[in-house]
Amino acid sequence: MAHLLIVEDDELLRDGLCAQLVHAGHSVSSASDGAQAQSLLESTRFDGVVLDLGLPVVDGITVLIWIRQRLAALPVLILTARDGVEDRVQGLNAGADDYLTKPFEMAELLARLQAMLRRSRLPAFGGSLEVQSSTSKSLRLDPVLPLGWLGEEAMELTHREWSLLSLLVNNMGQVVGREDVLAVWQTAPQEGGAAGSNALEVYVHRLRRKLNDSGLSIRNVRGLGYMLESDTP
Amino acid sequence: MSRPARFSLKRQLLIWLLLPQLVLWLMGGALAFRVALAYAEKTIDQSLTQSVRSLARQVKPMGSGLLIDFPRAARDIIEQDPDDRVAYMVSSPPGSFLLGNTKIPGQTPDLYSPANEPVLYEVVMDGKPMRVASIDLSFGDGFTDQRMRVQVAKSLVAQQRIARELVRDVLFPLLILGAVLSVLVYEGIRRGLAPLERLEAQLANRNMASLSPIEMTQAPEEVHSLANTLNQLLTTLRRSLSQEKRFLNDAAHQLRTPLAGLISQTELAMQEKDPEALQQRLTKVHTGAQRSAHLVHQLLSLARTEAEVSLVPVDAASLAREVAREWTRRALAAGVDLGFEGEDSVMVPADKLLLREVLSNLIDNALRYAGKGAVVTLRTTVHNGYCWLDVEDTGPGLSTEHLERVFERFWRASELPGGCGLGLSIVAEIARRHNGTATAQTTLPHGLTIRLELPLQG
Repeated sequence: MAHLLIVEDDELLRDGLCAQLVHAGHSVSSASDGAQAQSLLESTRFDGVVLDLGLPVVDGITVLIWIRQRLAALPVLILTARDGVEDRVQGLNAGADDYLTKPFEMAELLARLQAMLRRSRLPAFGGSLEVQSSTSKSLRLDPVLPLGWLGEEAMELTHREWSLLSLLVNNMGQVVGREDVLAVWQTAPQEGGAAGSNALEVYVHRLRRKLNDSGLSIRNVRGLGYMLESDTP
Repeated sequence: MSRPARFSLKRQLLIWLLLPQLVLWLMGGALAFRVALAYAEKTIDQSLTQSVRSLARQVKPMGSGLLIDFPRAARDIIEQDPDDRVAYMVSSPPGSFLLGNTKIPGQTPDLYSPANEPVLYEVVMDGKPMRVASIDLSFGDGFTDQRMRVQVAKSLVAQQRIARELVRDVLFPLLILGAVLSVLVYEGIRRGLAPLERLEAQLANRNMASLSPIEMTQAPEEVHSLANTLNQLLTTLRRSLSQEKRFLNDAAHQLRTPLAGLISQTELAMQEKDPEALQQRLTKVHTGAQRSAHLVHQLLSLARTEAEVSLVPVDAASLAREVAREWTRRALAAGVDLGFEGEDSVMVPADKLLLREVLSNLIDNALRYAGKGAVVTLRTTVHNGYCWLDVEDTGPGLSTEHLERVFERFWRASELPGGCGLGLSIVAEIARRHNGTATAQTTLPHGLTIRLELPLQG
């Protein structure tokens, strides 16, 4: 699916990461220090990088800054063993797209990587929002206009339905809070009717009907919000 | 033993006790001197005034002239003391010498002085300061008004001699008294500060190994309270050190055990030929590794609670929802219904990272022990100026005697895998750091509720 670069000095972890990512269908190259990573990045095109911050020779932050100077759009997920806030803030400030604290679960890393790669294919990079469901139908959303397709079939979406669905697709497998949806709706054109919590339930109900038999469903997480998930067959 | 000499109590006391005294004594001496001098001057002035009046009485107008009756005896009395000679002069009109032993200058500026009233002033004659009494008299026959001046002068040498004697008689005893007093003050300070030195000697013997209380049987009140405070500190330190020691022993045990398990399982796995048995060993290795990772995380967060925290306004309800969302996937995987109820927004002074740690720990615990099919609810309530953050589960719950122990370090209610007995003690510690409390109670009909009570943002 994507060509990824893993930069990690611990051999046990690097080996495990590579094997898991290959297993998940990605093609993977790896480097054990910063200098090696730099030379690989200069010679090969990658879709994303998993970068450890504690590297020998050239440390992770330096590599990250180096990447941002050359490859501004390349998605980078950083790994850190330190769990102080300053460390994460430093990494995110230097241009990381996401971070994980060691030790992490492989499922978490895969989900974060998917989300990161999905975001990198947004309109700015000439792509569209797309999620694969358990059935063969994939859900695609236009990133700018309130348009959507389920497989080959076009969906009829109002502006609010489209922005709600975009939010859910963007955070697939994660809970989207009511306040997040309402905040997005605040900036969207008015559509008649109150934009309160009740309205949100109405819209979720409508979307559920439209996603019927698509292999995707919207889960209501008690008091926390909504989550788009792929039905287990 | 070297000590910084910047501030010495003894020196401060000496300076502040002796310096004001020195100033006071010097001022007293100067004042006494001035007063004595003024009296001496007054005496001289009185005798001069008397002399000039008696001399004036001896001068009588005779027709248009003057008759001066100045007997020899009187002159002898006036000129008696050769060192402290009295000078006199009669002049008419004032200033033009008629009679006398010295020419005495008039008062400068020569103001018009009323007749028959003596005037007193100072002049310098032959380089010596003199005090002069002068009186002007009118005489004449009514057609020609004439004036005559009588002056008597006395050297101020006598007065200066008196001054010198006074200085000698007053200053010398003052100096001796001052010296004696200094010695007394110094001794007093030394005796007064002696308990402090004894305290220092006692403290110098203390170290991490011997933190027994200081014994102060014969000490003044002030030092007693200082020693008491120090003793309290020593007691707290001793207790916390022994706690640390116990914790370190426990932690060492808890860290070594899963590692030993991992090593033995991998050794077995390497010798294993049967793929199914190998799979089982690997599963055990995986569980062991996860347990170690969890323990290391817990120990590190416990260490972080020891550091200084800075409390800033945090929306506890919003943070609770945020943390719960992060746990949703794991809750779904564990078959637990994780949800949120209560206030939309509650501001509390908190360290966001630590509060997040508390919530994570509580949810983690609930997911671990409540079991499949349970309902776990995060609830925020505002009650009497406090924010209640409840994590409530419908799991099996705990017995009453277990409820009392849940916040102890390394105490575990069950041998369910994955737990390390630190989660709730971290929760209690963090609650304490936020000036709040953590309590455990039974949820009805069954289950456990951990309540975090934090003061609201004022």
